Amino acid sequence: MTQANTPLSLQAALSLTLDTEPFLSCDDCFDLVDEYVEALLADPDHDQLAMRTHLAGCNACAEEARSLILLVAEQDGISPAPALGALEDNPA
Amino acid sequence: MSLVSADDRVPPSLDLTGADPENWVEALSTPGPGQDHAMDRLHQMMLRACHHQVRRMRSSLASVGSERLDEIANQAADEAMMAVLAKLSTFEGRSRFTTWAYKFAILQSATEVRRFAWAHREVELNDATQVMECGPSPASYAEASDLAAAVRLAIDVALTPHQRRITIALLVDEVPIDVLAQRLGSNRNALYKTVHEARTRLRAHLIASGHLTTSLPKAGTS
Repeated sequence: MTQANTPLSLQAALSLTLDTEPFLSCDDCFDLVDEYVEALLADPDHDQLAMRTHLAGCNACAEEARSLILLVAEQDGISPAPALGALEDNPA
Repeated sequence: MSLVSADDRVPPSLDLTGADPENWVEALSTPGPGQDHAMDRLHQMMLRACHHQVRRMRSSLASVGSERLDEIANQAADEAMMAVLAKLSTFEGRSRFTTWAYKFAILQSATEVRRFAWAHREVELNDATQVMECGPSPASYAEASDLAAAVRLAIDVALTPHQRRITIALLVDEVPIDVLAQRLGSNRNALYKTVHEARTRLRAHLIASGHLTTSLPKAGTS
């Protein structure tokens, strides 16, 4: 909750000033995330600017993308680390 | 540091056994024994994904017992299965069916956990900026402290009251977006768009005042 004198951390300041262009809505992110996760697992260098930007700026969608990476990697018997690393390089 | 923790591992007791349908959409849509089997398999998948997600987020439910956590996951799995079946005709095969279906379970269970964790917490929304920069900061962080102070002032002058309320709640107070959406009768899309527009305004203000360059910070760059 918002309270008087809540500290504004540097992390919050950076998040507040994040450049989130090009815009992608959460619904559009949800539509694309399954395809994006499979592409990242196949190639951690895979790039999709709008998805990468949205996941850097939306903690909820980013958490769900990370979780999907783990589930699919487990199912396929492959390491999730490279794909997770690609997301962690671009934190929100 | 490992990117995969013990909580990230899929519960082994929920591992799938047996064959999956070759064509999930057809199997789930065509009445008969094949449909019953496909429904069972889909429900197993939803359970697996929901238990995985609840386990990942259990630190936010520290005081909740394992029985209640199972209930949250099971309920989310049922609701996710309904969502998958309702959206079945929209599956385009751009990913595997299993990956497509998992995302519904993850969304449903993550949203449930966030809302449950905040069920008894109040969310206050203020349109007056009551945040202040951290301090004192070491001299080496003077520039960072300057940025935080400039951002605090920019929130006052560059944002509308609505943008201030939403942005401070989500990015400073760290209220989960699903929780805020539920309290306001809104949705994740609308709140993220508000934050996006607020960020654009803050950046423009800080670039004009010389506190920010056009190239920093850029989302999605390391």
